Amino acid sequence: MQRWRRSEKRSTRWRTPIRINQVRFVAILALASAPALAGQGAGRTGAGVVANPFLGKQLPLEPGYRVYIVAAMSGMGTAVDARELSPPVDGAPLSATVNNADYETRFRSLFTQEANAAVHGARLAGAGSIVVSDAHPANNFGSILPWEIDSLATLVRGFPRPLFMISGLDSTFGTVMFIGATASAGTPGVLSHTFGFDALAIDGKVMNEVTVNALIAGEMGVPVSLVAGDDAAIAECRAILGSDFVPVITKYAVGTMAAITLSPARVHQVLATGATLAVQSARDHRLKPFTMEKPYRVEFTLAKTLPDSVSAEVAALTGFGLERTGARSFRFTTADARQIGYLIDAIEPLAVR
Amino acid sequence: MNGARWLARLLVLMAGTAAFVTGIAAQGRGSVAAPSRQALDTTPPGAYYGVTEYQAARQKVEQLIPAEGIAIYIISDMEGLAGVVNNAREMLPGRGNSPDHQRFREEETDEINAVIAGARAGGATAFVVNEGHGGDNFHNVIPERLDPSALLIRGWPKPIVMTTGLSPRMNAMMIIGAHSNAGSNGIIAHSYAFDSFTVNGHPLNETGIAAFIGGEMGVPLILAAGDDALTSETRDMLGPIETVTVKTALGRSAGASLSFPRAHAELREAALRAVDRLRRGDLTPLRFATPYQIRYCIRASFTPEVFALMARLPGIRPDPATGPRCFGMETSSAEAVGNLLNEIEWSALKP
Repeated sequence: MQRWRRSEKRSTRWRTPIRINQVRFVAILALASAPALAGQGAGRTGAGVVANPFLGKQLPLEPGYRVYIVAAMSGMGTAVDARELSPPVDGAPLSATVNNADYETRFRSLFTQEANAAVHGARLAGAGSIVVSDAHPANNFGSILPWEIDSLATLVRGFPRPLFMISGLDSTFGTVMFIGATASAGTPGVLSHTFGFDALAIDGKVMNEVTVNALIAGEMGVPVSLVAGDDAAIAECRAILGSDFVPVITKYAVGTMAAITLSPARVHQVLATGATLAVQSARDHRLKPFTMEKPYRVEFTLAKTLPDSVSAEVAALTGFGLERTGARSFRFTTADARQIGYLIDAIEPLAVR
Repeated sequence: MNGARWLARLLVLMAGTAAFVTGIAAQGRGSVAAPSRQALDTTPPGAYYGVTEYQAARQKVEQLIPAEGIAIYIISDMEGLAGVVNNAREMLPGRGNSPDHQRFREEETDEINAVIAGARAGGATAFVVNEGHGGDNFHNVIPERLDPSALLIRGWPKPIVMTTGLSPRMNAMMIIGAHSNAGSNGIIAHSYAFDSFTVNGHPLNETGIAAFIGGEMGVPLILAAGDDALTSETRDMLGPIETVTVKTALGRSAGASLSFPRAHAELREAALRAVDRLRRGDLTPLRFATPYQIRYCIRASFTPEVFALMARLPGIRPDPATGPRCFGMETSSAEAVGNLLNEIEWSALKP
């Protein structure tokens, strides 16, 4: 049933269709004379390397309590299959047995409604300035419908952008929330993954996409107040971040592509209520920014589904002090969590080709 | 074909009659911007693929709007609309299996409607909209969604691409959905086929070039809307005009956008302020000393064809001192620049 995909001889892991789609925009970015942007997240200024001009760019400062919401699709309610979370590849025949149209016709809208539920809940608790970051790779990080997002929210979309899941987050924000979160790569969570890695660990702790960004936010003094995702993602985040944030379980994993799900309406209701509680506890200073001991010892293994050339290109990245520890494994040490984010920024475009 | 040609001739006859009648009426008008000298039209006769000559297009527009009252000429583009970040998936129909282009057509129309509403509240009475987005050959504004009082210039080819039909009768220009200059740090930053374009040493983006062509006629550009890169560079080029920053660039294909309702509200307010300032004489046309020293460099990715096409225009000479793809031109007519744009668009979009 996935013959067209396999014929591409690409990764068979769940993100495959998304990544194939991204080939096109990577080429377009090259045309748009942005070669320096994709891989140079660290803003290194060595010979021949152009600093990313968008690095450290601030969002307009708005009055009121500021909330940053990171939204991904994999951990949203009801979604269980990559076909629901990315558009069909250009020219690929629609499958006879599964519905490739659901991304456009249903899930983009449901995803937007989840973000809106969180925005609505945050507003009820008095948030005055709300940013929603579309952190899901499909459609070039453009799945949330700009015409359906809550009118108070500022929508961050598109790719590449610095610290792509939390672009524009800074110390003016009171709290950060993660909705649609997933468990780390290789674990029994729905659509579990960690960027382009098979494993990512800091100081020996296995990290997922939420906890890495929580660490960067923590250095900015911004605490995590809510995580929404499947039960596996929530359990993982509580183990790393502690149990102060509001947990919202959107679905219960019974496989990496199967789950016990709730009605979207119920998920939205719980999300809104959770967001209200989350902002209340953040405003009452009941949350601490997430920190780890410095310097951070970062170890990662590139996904085995990526071609060997990616390992070589990662090995060639300069500015991070990467040390190769295996065919696909690397480690480095840094005292600045943003460097970890910039490294992920640099690897993501290599991984999506 | 023959039928169409006859119809065109008939229309020209009708337009000529109307021009005579309204021409008399126009003598008595006492509106804001004084008409400048009759601009020189340098369109080479018959050179532009059957397109109406620029002056004729201008006369047709003038006949269709009232002789009295404040008339606003609105250019619409798409790259600088709220929400837009991606050229491949959002700026053209049918690519990437993405329906988003259709929805952004609605947003383009809504942003035009927002500035019309604001300008009307400020006292403007006539509106001419010129579709300026080349994707889908300038057919993006949705006619039935557009404010019914506006004239809409759509389709392509048309003379002087983004300023078709602009005339001294217009009191001011506005542009929405605009994008920042080639090489700048903005969302989908580009400028026609140029890597750079300067008049007397002053760099101009697409918005600036429109302001230059209009400025020569005495028509000031009073409002520009797009991302933060566009609004800041346009203020540098044109002075403190009204600008609306609908999104913040976080990459050339990434940004943080206001929601549509907030963008529309800001556009309405800014358009009202712009017309108000226009009436107070606070906003003046962009003018440069003549003869204009035009310098431009063509994008490396552009086809060699564009060079051959440009060679047909008089007065263009290579400028190897600046760069291998750079040219210079001395002219006393901004419309000669418009003709250059015609050639470039033709080489890029020719079916």
